[in-house]
Amino acid sequence: MSDLIVSTLTQGLIYALLSYGVYITYSVLDFPDLTVDSSFPLGAAVTAILLLGGVNPWLTLLCAAGAGAVAGLCTGFIHVRLGVRDLLAGIITMTALSSINLVIAGSNVTVERAIDTIFTSPPVMALLGDLTLSGRKLVVALVLAVAVKVLLDLYFCTKSGLLLRAVGDNSTLVTALAKNKGNMKVLGVVIANALVALCGGVLCQEQRSYSAVMGIGQVVFGLATVIIGISIIRFFARSKVAQGMRKVKGLRFLATPKGTTAVLLGSILYKFCVQIAINAGLPAHMLKFITAALFLVVLVVAGRRGEEIIHA
Amino acid sequence: MKNLKKLFCGVLSLAMVLGLAACGGGNGDRGNAAQGEGKVPIIGVSQYGQHASLNNCREGFLKGLEEAGLKEGTDYTIDYQNASFDDNMAIQIAQAFSAEDAALMVGIATSAATACYAAAEDKDIPVIFTAITDPVGAKLDSGNITGTSDVLPVEGQLKLIRALQPEAKRIGIVYTTSEANSVYSLGVYQEKAAAYGFTIEAVGITAQAEVTQAVDSLIAKGVDCFSNLTDNNVVGVLGSILEKTNEAKIPVYGSEIEQMKLGCVAGAGLDYIQLGIQTGKLAAKVLTGEAVCQDLPYEVIENFSLYTNSKALAKMGLTLPDEVAKTAQEVGETA
Repeated sequence: MSDLIVSTLTQGLIYALLSYGVYITYSVLDFPDLTVDSSFPLGAAVTAILLLGGVNPWLTLLCAAGAGAVAGLCTGFIHVRLGVRDLLAGIITMTALSSINLVIAGSNVTVERAIDTIFTSPPVMALLGDLTLSGRKLVVALVLAVAVKVLLDLYFCTKSGLLLRAVGDNSTLVTALAKNKGNMKVLGVVIANALVALCGGVLCQEQRSYSAVMGIGQVVFGLATVIIGISIIRFFARSKVAQGMRKVKGLRFLATPKGTTAVLLGSILYKFCVQIAINAGLPAHMLKFITAALFLVVLVVAGRRGEEIIHA
Repeated sequence: MKNLKKLFCGVLSLAMVLGLAACGGGNGDRGNAAQGEGKVPIIGVSQYGQHASLNNCREGFLKGLEEAGLKEGTDYTIDYQNASFDDNMAIQIAQAFSAEDAALMVGIATSAATACYAAAEDKDIPVIFTAITDPVGAKLDSGNITGTSDVLPVEGQLKLIRALQPEAKRIGIVYTTSEANSVYSLGVYQEKAAAYGFTIEAVGITAQAEVTQAVDSLIAKGVDCFSNLTDNNVVGVLGSILEKTNEAKIPVYGSEIEQMKLGCVAGAGLDYIQLGIQTGKLAAKVLTGEAVCQDLPYEVIENFSLYTNSKALAKMGLTLPDEVAKTAQEVGETA
């Protein structure tokens, strides 16, 4: 039981990185970005090849994020500068990238157990050497997910972050402030895809494998986690508990959770729904149906739109 | 309305808690069973997706365990899961096996096997794979893992094509660029074709929707025949491929018994049930402690068989030479 909770929680935390990315494009920028399906395996491909080449596992993650940023830059450029519709710009980059991924790493790469990953790297072993591998995976994933969340929250409060949020909410305002909304959009898509590729890189290290088809369905996963997470947070923000918490000074900040918190929870909840479906003991081919049913229940419970979500 | 919502909320929380508790309870019992003396060990079987060949692998695997003298219920229990071709699902399935302290994990097809191998690392649970064409390339040939490879008998296939079509020069092959198995097999074809006087015309695709276009382009190029790999995208739309090739009077050679049943003229192919049986016997050795994975090199199928479909052959105006007819097995259902 505890093993299962640990490994499912780890998956949820790792995938939260991807969910943050989808949150930035879909929810903050109002930009349906399909690049994700290819930038996710791109991050894994870069990580796998660099790991095999003996590069430091933490450095490979930076490279993965960098590669994802370039992918985002392409989508942003195609949309903003070449004037292609947002959905199609994503599709174009996604399609082209699937070839690039094959060029970088072929269709499958396995990283042998002898090669160090971030979960077995010397600094992690020095700090957490007493834990089992699953324990270390959980702690590292938790640190990554929370660190990225905090960085994003801080960024959303900077001038650039505020402009980014304004592009999605009221782009006229951005123009009125004499800022280029196109550049802000590109920046948002770049950050989003860097996060998605980072997620691919972390997952590649956790699974010790990359496959060209690992990106299939990731956009759908990301959108589901964003919507589930935000619905639940809204439900919470409307509840009596949250209203009570608002009256207490120290708890006020907890009563109106941020969007990044929402998608973090959404990602974890998604993975638990899948795991419950796997363990439900029903025939294996019913897995997807049960997963879908669980989502429906979550969304119905979380209910209709209420208080607007706070981006930062 | 508010009450209704509260009710929903209650039901959801209850369902989630019960769901987790149920799987937790189950795991606890089964986990203890695996460790306790004389209790039944669990074999976690993760199949990548619903697919005739992979289903046959699993069926054969269960048969192989029985043939090795093990009985379900007393010697082992099976926890079978199917990932519906979803890598993320495969990851979580493998983790569930690890959490229930499975004595052995079985991964059918590459993604299922790599996910099992990753989840098995912590507890060093042995992993058995099957339906992987190139275990060396996938780096699954060392460590606490072994299994069986479904590498195609390419030379057998080339000999067969030469025997049936002495004049043929060009073989058309459609393959998915992201399927490791297909890319590997195509490489073998390209390496061996010249020795039998063939050249290979290959068209790569990225999705199942592109298969028929690829077939059209090869027909337009005037290939003398098609030869199938075990490519999931191609095999998945074999029916519509055969419609086109029948019209153009170009024979299609299959790589696996099911394909000949559906209308491929002939093929030197794998019988995935046999492959599964071989895998099951291998697994039995590991499960009973007779051997450890590290000492068992991965195996390829011992013999391939020739399968023919006489209706399809007649349609193409091909006759089976006697030396082929002697060893071939007629399996045709439709042409």
